[in-house]
Amino acid sequence: MTATTTTTTPAVDLAGVEKQFGDLVAVRHLDLQIQPGEFFSIIGPSGCGKTTTLRMVAGFEDPTAGRVSVSGKDMTGVRPYRRPVNTVFQSYALFPHLDVYENVAFGLREARVGKAEVRVRVAEAISLVQLEGRESSRPRKLSGGQQQRVALARALVNRPDVLLLDEPLGALDLKLRTEMQTQLKDLQRSVGVTFCYVTHDQGEAFSMSDRVAVMNLGLLEQVGTPEDVYHRPASLFVADFVGKANRFRGRVTDGSAGVYTVDIDGIGSRRVPGPDGIPSGAEVVVVVRPENLRATPAESRNGLTATVIDAAFLGAVRTIRLQAAPLGELTSAAGGAGAAPAPGSTVSLTWDENHAWLIQAGD
Amino acid sequence: MAPPPAEPPRRRRPALGGLPRLALLLPTLVITALCFVIPLGLIAVYSFGTVNEVNFDVYFGWTTQNYHDFTSTLYLHTLARSVFLSLSTTLSCAVLGFIFAYYISRQPPRAQQLLLVAVIVPFWTSFIVRTYAWVDLLQNLGPIDRFARALGLHGHIDILYTPYSIAIGILYSYLPLMILPIYVSLERIDPALYDAAADLGATPFRQFRRVVLPHAVPGLIAGIIIVGVPALGEYVIPEILGGGKTLMAGNLLADQFLETGNYPFGSALAVTVMVVLMLLLFLLRRAQPAVEAQ
Amino acid sequence: MNIRRHPVAAPLSLLILLFMWVPLIVVAVNSFNTQTIMAGWGGFTTHWYSLAWHNEDVRTGLKTTLIIAVASSVLSLFVAVTGALWWRRASPKARAVYDGLIFARIILPEVVFATALFFLFLKIHFSLGLTAIVIGHTVWNSAYAALIVQARMAGLDPALEEAAADLGATPWRAFRRVTLSALMPAIVVAGLLAFTFSFDDVVTSVFLQGASNSPLPVVILGMIRFRITPEINAIGLLVMLFTVTVMSLAVIFYATAGSLGRAGRRGSMLDMYR
Repeated sequence: MTATTTTTTPAVDLAGVEKQFGDLVAVRHLDLQIQPGEFFSIIGPSGCGKTTTLRMVAGFEDPTAGRVSVSGKDMTGVRPYRRPVNTVFQSYALFPHLDVYENVAFGLREARVGKAEVRVRVAEAISLVQLEGRESSRPRKLSGGQQQRVALARALVNRPDVLLLDEPLGALDLKLRTEMQTQLKDLQRSVGVTFCYVTHDQGEAFSMSDRVAVMNLGLLEQVGTPEDVYHRPASLFVADFVGKANRFRGRVTDGSAGVYTVDIDGIGSRRVPGPDGIPSGAEVVVVVRPENLRATPAESRNGLTATVIDAAFLGAVRTIRLQAAPLGELTSAAGGAGAAPAPGSTVSLTWDENHAWLIQAGD
Repeated sequence: MAPPPAEPPRRRRPALGGLPRLALLLPTLVITALCFVIPLGLIAVYSFGTVNEVNFDVYFGWTTQNYHDFTSTLYLHTLARSVFLSLSTTLSCAVLGFIFAYYISRQPPRAQQLLLVAVIVPFWTSFIVRTYAWVDLLQNLGPIDRFARALGLHGHIDILYTPYSIAIGILYSYLPLMILPIYVSLERIDPALYDAAADLGATPFRQFRRVVLPHAVPGLIAGIIIVGVPALGEYVIPEILGGGKTLMAGNLLADQFLETGNYPFGSALAVTVMVVLMLLLFLLRRAQPAVEAQ
Repeated sequence: MNIRRHPVAAPLSLLILLFMWVPLIVVAVNSFNTQTIMAGWGGFTTHWYSLAWHNEDVRTGLKTTLIIAVASSVLSLFVAVTGALWWRRASPKARAVYDGLIFARIILPEVVFATALFFLFLKIHFSLGLTAIVIGHTVWNSAYAALIVQARMAGLDPALEEAAADLGATPWRAFRRVTLSALMPAIVVAGLLAFTFSFDDVVTSVFLQGASNSPLPVVILGMIRFRITPEINAIGLLVMLFTVTVMSLAVIFYATAGSLGRAGRRGSMLDMYR
């Protein structure tokens, strides 16, 4: 977890936040800060507490412990309708009896904004999400993608300090989803509003976010840029959640401050980068991503050989499953061009020692 | 380590901000508890009471005399007739209703809507007027009588003011109530099922038996409940079409309360009717899964 | 089997349809018939209509029925809507009891219920009359209304009120602007249905009217008992036309509720400014 040493007030500040439902602990001690203007995502498997966290920021749930602040103001006891925060719901929750215009204008009407200003701002919001011409349509006449954009416009028109998005793209098909991801990213950039986005789809979060928080079983596992989280996972859970990971067990024999010498079972001694402060002798796991694990048919030069089980051609990438007893099954990924290794053939495995990462076992 | 949290349950907020949820339930409570459950309970309690013949005072004392009075043939007879009439008309309703519902369900969608409307619209008109129309229709010298005589009948049809006219009246009034649930069940049948059954070697008759009937059963049972139970306590139809000569439980009950003033006896009657109904309901509910399993 | 051409089922079905409509036609035709017994057509006349119109009992009955029907519908809606709102967040057990009571009110023969309520009012010395009738009607009307409103409520996204709150609406405004508006079609239909049921009711009205003016159906019942035949057909036809119109309105409203009335920028939205 990286501590932010910034002087700007965080857009969202969760300090020691906990949430319990009866004897069900949904969120444990959460310390999290979202900076103004950033596209921030919370990812994790279902049940990890990410949606509960979002709802606590929105005000639909009250934390059982800790404090939620938005733009520096303590939100304890503040009802959702008084918070400078707006939500895009998973089901969109568009008002069925109102047309698009009135849906978007809803929040402005609640705020008693003048008729003329309402007209201007609604038009602005609608053109922002490219729905001009659909103002008089009822929600049920719109496609899923269009409904989603109405929900977006409805939230953004109020100029909230923070925009919360609860898995908004879940109901869309793959192609539309990818399109919307790009649009959302561009939108956030141009409008500059802080986005807090919740999803279980790691790829989706990575493609749009400035920073990502990984949650599991109510705990915050790691916060960082997508690169941080992918290349330097703080725990085995994070390593597995954000991508495929080859794992090698070993022991630290030397080193500190970012670079260690590790005695890896079945391979030998290697230099492996890692987080500061791992003591000598500690049990560790070395994580190597498939794209960093190169399989070549050459004679082994550093003692790691494996047999090809099979190779799957995915177009841009070819993933190769390997059996390297006693290390178990490994995965390597290479570019789609080039010949596929034959099943049953022997290959030697290497990785650039800068492209691995150390995780302390027991995390 | 605490067990892994499942999807957190949505917190139950008070339904309207500060308004406690109980306040929302209050109107329903007043209407149901106060004006429905309690009166029925009162009746049940007073069915064990007695009435002073002289000053019409009703007092409550534990006696089963009222229930014993049922052993008098007249009342038992009336009750039995009610049950019999209700059951037989319900069955006829079921048969006719099923045929009609099945017929509708096999029409193209446009025709289905039209037919449904055609069956329902009469239902929207005044119940008492429609029932009265049967007096005109069924009376001697009425159109049906003359039609029958034109066909060669000697004498008159003599239907009016007999159990038969009551039966016709009940059948007429409750038929839409039977048609609707059966139709709903049948409408759900995927037309492809017929093809599938045929593909597997079923003749049209067997298709009917093994595809249509099982689907119709829930609707049939619902229809039988919606028709049979209220029919047992019918008051208006026997009044109008029974002409005071034929009584059903409903008329007897009304009579005890509005004319005779023997409230404990009337209460016992009401309780008996309710017990019979609950028995009927219970049996029908039990029959449901068993029949569906066939 | 192609039932449309089935030798038995098809004609039988058409016969059933005829069966449903014949009484209506009889009433309609007879209301213009000079002959007092259905001995045939005696010639066209509107005499029965003027007779009915000048009948004091009939006019009072109509007025009474209208008052009762309106009062009962409004009350029933109030009970049904508040009940449905409670039901949303109720526990399964509580819901089961609530639903059971709806079922009981619909299924129980009206006579049994009417006698029970009559007896209760007697015991607590509550005077019979209009108010008593309205209460009686409301008991079962609210059950039908609850059924309709509940069905609509169940189809509403629970996130809608949250969305309203998220956009700045206090709980009361969220209820008014979102939930109530979304429920409106069901409320209208339920209200019209309750109105029709009340308008048409005989049993409960007979038991609970006491010495006060009888509602129209009870007046008709009296006329049937005393065999004042011809006027009844005239009244009958008018009543039938009235109730069919009301119910048709309900159905049409429900079917077009989604596209009815653009909640547009002008007009009705102005009152949203409070």
